[in-house]
Amino acid sequence: MKAKNVFFDQLSFFISVPALLWQFFFLYLPLLFIVCISFIEPTSAHLTLAHYRSLLYWPYLSVILRSFILALGNSLISLCLAYPVAYFLAVHVKRWKSILLFFMILPFWTSLLVQVYAWIFVLEPYGVINTLLIKLGFITEPLQMLNSLFAVFLGMIYCYVPFMVIPLYSTLENLDSRLLEASADLGASTIETFRRITLPLSLPGIRTGFFLVFIPSFGEFVIPALLGGGKRMYVGTLISHYFLILQDMFTGAALTVICGLVLLLSALLVYYMLTRSIALLSGKVSR
Amino acid sequence: MKRNSRHFLLVSWVMLFYFLLYVPIVVLVLFSFNNSTTGQFTEWSLRWYRELFASPEIWQALKNSLIVAGSAVFLSLLMGTALVVASMRTHFYNVIFLFYGSLAIPEIVLTVGLLSAFSFFSIPLGLTTLIVGHTLIGLGYVVPMLYARASEIDYRLVEASLDLGASQVQTFFNITFPLLRPALLGAGLLVFIVSFDDFLIAFFCSGATEQTLPLYIFSLIRVGSVPIINALLTILLVISSLLVLLFSLLSVKRIKMAEE
Repeated sequence: MKAKNVFFDQLSFFISVPALLWQFFFLYLPLLFIVCISFIEPTSAHLTLAHYRSLLYWPYLSVILRSFILALGNSLISLCLAYPVAYFLAVHVKRWKSILLFFMILPFWTSLLVQVYAWIFVLEPYGVINTLLIKLGFITEPLQMLNSLFAVFLGMIYCYVPFMVIPLYSTLENLDSRLLEASADLGASTIETFRRITLPLSLPGIRTGFFLVFIPSFGEFVIPALLGGGKRMYVGTLISHYFLILQDMFTGAALTVICGLVLLLSALLVYYMLTRSIALLSGKVSR
Repeated sequence: MKRNSRHFLLVSWVMLFYFLLYVPIVVLVLFSFNNSTTGQFTEWSLRWYRELFASPEIWQALKNSLIVAGSAVFLSLLMGTALVVASMRTHFYNVIFLFYGSLAIPEIVLTVGLLSAFSFFSIPLGLTTLIVGHTLIGLGYVVPMLYARASEIDYRLVEASLDLGASQVQTFFNITFPLLRPALLGAGLLVFIVSFDDFLIAFFCSGATEQTLPLYIFSLIRVGSVPIINALLTILLVISSLLVLLFSLLSVKRIKMAEE
């Protein structure tokens, strides 16, 4: 009996090994590998910083800056669009809640390509909007709405806004309504109650939503590639350009490392600023 | 009065939000039944559906997608369950955090890492490498979900079963597995949908010869709209809404079970 238990202890160790090995070999080892090859000279196998140096020019840096602005803009606009919706769903809706939530998460369970294609179909030169506008006589020539910064922003916000609504909704849902009543009883206006009670207490949801939008939209590949027309590069498209078209793994790895670091730093910075500005707004900090 | 107008503003905002969320999708579905290639609605027709079902590439791509998603679900559930059950027994909990990595790291970085590792060790790209990638993503969902469920299980049930003379294997199949089943179903469904919809890993790690459904769609819509894609996406939309419905019913059932 005892021997059998020892056997099963051994066994339970062994059955947990495949998942760990999988995670190690296909996630952590490749990441380490990317970092290593970004410092290696491909022909002589010496250590070098040449790959990083070749990226320190404005065209490359501007791509990183553009992705940063896209990710930041996308998260801030999504936050402003999503907050009233999440607030409404959490506070005012009683009966239709599950149905409204179902329709909120439905688009994000469908393929990203479905959503992007839907916008291509609506925006393209002979698409729905242009045909409608020409028929109504507002314009004679079709508007060029695709392949622009506008289309990329529209697609990004459209695809990522549910990621902002859901975490905001779940924090606002758990908000103690007695706090709001107390604030109103003590004479605060609705706006003051919102600013000093609801907003600071929904900070965890704002943070989660912000990261769920900011991190993937920084490296987004599909939306800029399809709606941006490939004219302007973004981080995701530039990385794929190095790996797939130029077949230059080494510079591509250096670019990936730089982007990873920029993402980490900017996420921390934005996180700090977000917390700080809400603290200022709610009057917790006097300065 | 002021309060009412504010409420009216909020309601209209929410209605506009839902309206804009669904306008493109409704347009997409509507025009899949349109007998024309432009943005003008001419007449109702099933032309694009007929062309879709006649296209051999789509069936091949669908087959590949199903193979990849099925294998990824199978492998990630198998390995994930083994890990979680083993960690329940040995209280070996501190390795779970390793599995949050695949969700916290941007997908492009993860994909590029996989690609360079494959090409460095000159592993030929194909469906196998794609399955490897999707299983990795799958583990990132399966392990946290199963772990959350497993930590709710009363471990005394397992101990009681062992004390009463059931073997480890019997205990697993009669006690642990039924208790984990709702989470297994939910996680499996989620991994299936994620793998079936994934574009990025497929784009990098499937090589030039094999095509999955998202890759095929991407190659078609890169040049502009093709009504055949409207028909295909409408079908996919219907399937995924059924799956989401199933998924939400499962979680409602789970919540009810937890409340009882």
